[in-house]
Amino acid sequence: MRFERITDAIGNTPLVRIDPSVHGLRTIDLYAKLEMLNPFGSVKDRAAWNMARQGLATAADEGRTVVELSSGNTAKALAVLAGMHGVPFKTVTNRMRIPEVKDLLLLLGAEVEELPGQTECLDPTNTDDPLTQFHQALSEPDGAYLYTDQYYNDRNTQAHVEGTGPEIVKDLDGRAPDWFIACVGTAGSSTGVARVLREHDPRVGVVGLVSHKADFVPGIRTIDEVQEVGLFDPGTYDTLASVTVDEALDGMLTLARRCGILAGPTSGAAYFGAVRYLRELDAAPAPGPEPDRPAERRTAVFIVCDRIESYLGYVRQRRPELLGRPPQPNSPATLTDAEVRAAPDIDVEGAERWIERERPLVVDLRSPFAYAALHIAGSVNIVDELFGELVRGGLPFSKSRPVLLACPVGEQSARYAALLTRMGHPDVRSLRGGIIAWRDAGAPLVRE
Amino acid sequence: MDVPLYLEPRLESRLVSLLRARTFLHTLAGGLGSPLNVLLPDRIAENLAAFRAVYRRHHLSGGIHFAHKANRSSALVRRLAATDAGMDVASLGELQHALGSGFAPDRILATGPKNTAFLWLAARSGATVHVDGPGELDELATLVRDHHLPRVRVLLRLSGFRAPGVRLLTRQSRFGTAEGDLDGLLKSVERHGDAVELTGVGYHLDTTSPAEKAVALEGCVKALDTCRARGLTPRAVDIGGGFGTDYLADGAQWQRYTTELTNAALGTRPPMTWRRHTYGLRNENGTLRGALALYPAHRPAAGAQYLDELLSLPAPSLGRPLATLLLENLYELHTEPGRALVDQCGVTLARVLEVRRTEATEGEPAARGRTAPDHLLVRLDANADDIGLEEHGVLVDPVLVPRTARPVPDGGPVAVYLAGNLCLEADMITRRAVHLPAAPHPGDLLAFANTAGYCMDFSADEAQRQPVARKVAVWQEGAADGPGQEDAPWRWCLDEQYWPHLSRRTKGTA
Repeated sequence: MRFERITDAIGNTPLVRIDPSVHGLRTIDLYAKLEMLNPFGSVKDRAAWNMARQGLATAADEGRTVVELSSGNTAKALAVLAGMHGVPFKTVTNRMRIPEVKDLLLLLGAEVEELPGQTECLDPTNTDDPLTQFHQALSEPDGAYLYTDQYYNDRNTQAHVEGTGPEIVKDLDGRAPDWFIACVGTAGSSTGVARVLREHDPRVGVVGLVSHKADFVPGIRTIDEVQEVGLFDPGTYDTLASVTVDEALDGMLTLARRCGILAGPTSGAAYFGAVRYLRELDAAPAPGPEPDRPAERRTAVFIVCDRIESYLGYVRQRRPELLGRPPQPNSPATLTDAEVRAAPDIDVEGAERWIERERPLVVDLRSPFAYAALHIAGSVNIVDELFGELVRGGLPFSKSRPVLLACPVGEQSARYAALLTRMGHPDVRSLRGGIIAWRDAGAPLVRE
Repeated sequence: MDVPLYLEPRLESRLVSLLRARTFLHTLAGGLGSPLNVLLPDRIAENLAAFRAVYRRHHLSGGIHFAHKANRSSALVRRLAATDAGMDVASLGELQHALGSGFAPDRILATGPKNTAFLWLAARSGATVHVDGPGELDELATLVRDHHLPRVRVLLRLSGFRAPGVRLLTRQSRFGTAEGDLDGLLKSVERHGDAVELTGVGYHLDTTSPAEKAVALEGCVKALDTCRARGLTPRAVDIGGGFGTDYLADGAQWQRYTTELTNAALGTRPPMTWRRHTYGLRNENGTLRGALALYPAHRPAAGAQYLDELLSLPAPSLGRPLATLLLENLYELHTEPGRALVDQCGVTLARVLEVRRTEATEGEPAARGRTAPDHLLVRLDANADDIGLEEHGVLVDPVLVPRTARPVPDGGPVAVYLAGNLCLEADMITRRAVHLPAAPHPGDLLAFANTAGYCMDFSADEAQRQPVARKVAVWQEGAADGPGQEDAPWRWCLDEQYWPHLSRRTKGTA
């Protein structure tokens, strides 16, 4: 496989059978369309390229900026494509809740703007929502924008009519599957693929999956939010069903751990929604033989729309136990309350005398920003997170030198004093009441 | 009929107990008229204690200033005077009220647009002034010098904070000085050093988004560092209010309701509102446009819990949790909760005057050939300005308090529109059909729960010489936490007669 350009690698993604021992369906073959293997990582590569390719050819000369409302994969693909053509790209969104994606977009050179949140004090005279204002700004005459408009642009759907749909039919030896299951974001892939499959066989069942209303699954809309999508037509779907975050993550784990498909939570939602829907049909009696269909076995296809890597923070927030690590040695988390209570400490007055007399090493556990503003003269700054890392490997300083630990109120320093004592340091103390007590007692703080 | 689209109010134990006291409520409304505002001053002290607990958890000190504008009640202000709360006043009248209710000036923060009399009294009494910009600072300094007043403590209200990396857009505000103009503002502070003492900076953003507030809070910490570098000694960040209130008992009801509103706007179900009002949504060729102009009435994290979550967020560029950032830079935190501090603190009662049937065609053309069901029109002895829930976009059902005990009839739930007592088509207390478990009768009371924050007297006036609601303070006798206290007898007095010695309860004195 040899390509001239990276864009030639868009499309022609594999269709992979899910092992029946994983999904447990007896009479249905379930296939995953691995859109995650597109070059920029998602199904959106197709739509982005199809929407932007015409305008991009001349956009640099015309001084245009590519603009889209996207919280993730479309923005990622457009950022790469625009960058390759020397064109700036800007995305505006209020839905970007995946920090890794934000950073990746910035890395790719995109400008990212987030819309303001809901107003807390309702202003009934303010009828224009930020999105309406955004559209007005774009439609001003002579605007220097190339607006790809993924939620309304037929070229989004078209990318799947020409690519994704026919590829599925080809890989199923010229037949359409019995069911097609897709998550609904812009509705581009589900609408385009459904159109092609139904042209082949009008009996194809199409299932659209949306996010459970109280939940947030990246890339999918809720049942209300899909109504805001110009490409969304409820007539496309035989069934619309919702998936919760927990279900999406369960699906994601199954795909990753049991199928070797390292896909994100949206794909997990598609897998979970597909199996949940098909399980009932699987239990029903198999249809009799028909002239153009083999008896008994039926097929279903779902879309794996992107990769797992960006969603670690999302998982950490919702299922921290999945990223659990064994407890670390020398961690303050292993201290008992009694150990912390028994931690050696010293009050401000005593500490001032001690510093004068024995010159202990004074360690300020606050952040560099706070330390730079005001600190005890001669102290060193090792921020608590870093200090925790240091002591994990052993005592970071000699037992021959006394140590005074200081934090804002003396709570954290007490924990570390207890820990260092347990680790064998003979003379470590926590500043009682912390830097705040030090300040309140009128003891000197310096700014260097 | 369809499953009723209830939006049941979230009622905690005190309000549950009050709304069960049917005879008590009818006696009050019988004697004092409809509408009637009933306030629970002890509850505000409990809410304050919840905020203080969040401060303690993060080891933070500083003032929790009740935003007085949320309610005109004396009972609430006087009850707070007996705690460690501060008071955020936004007018001369509120300042006078706070001083007269027992707030020493060092607990008072004067905010908002100010006239000269307001500035003078704030400066004369020794309240802290939250300064909007250089013009106000100049005026204040001139007043201090001309009238030989003591040096006034000031906070500077900043706005227009910039985030690193991703640009967070923020709604334009009329208030505050752009962060970028801090240098000029500090020059004014230094020039007026004989008249004013800088004690901190703050912001107030009209948004529910913690991310925007995180940017502003970090911006304030950086601004304070700039102040310190110039030799000033500020010590507080004031993050304003906007912590929100959760009005609804059941999130699923809210989700179902808003979905049906969407469907109604698209015309795929019969309308749910008077004259097909759509709360800001519109149908453009089958696609939904606009935004739902409603208060997010279901808020899983509201009030003190919202503050806790905000303080736990990492600072956008410095990385530490915001609470840690404040603490290790030795700053105090000031907050100005309004709505959140009066959560569960009050009920507005309105008497049912008339119940009649409206035909479907009266207000609602049938949608796409589907006939809208009949509704009852319930006329109340109160108007939309007395019960500001709709005005503030808060959708929540009233609770029926029948005049006499009677069995619930078999008819099942009914959908009603609630109309007011003004001779105006627009005087609808709800523009949506409200579902009640049974049809009300004339003489019954409807209790609108949780109106104390902005929805009780914020816009009430005497239009058409209709009386403004009287206010009463109510409390229960006995220890706050004792078993079976929910049904302890209720006591009351007129709002202006209330002083904290009347309800001597132990809990929530913060």
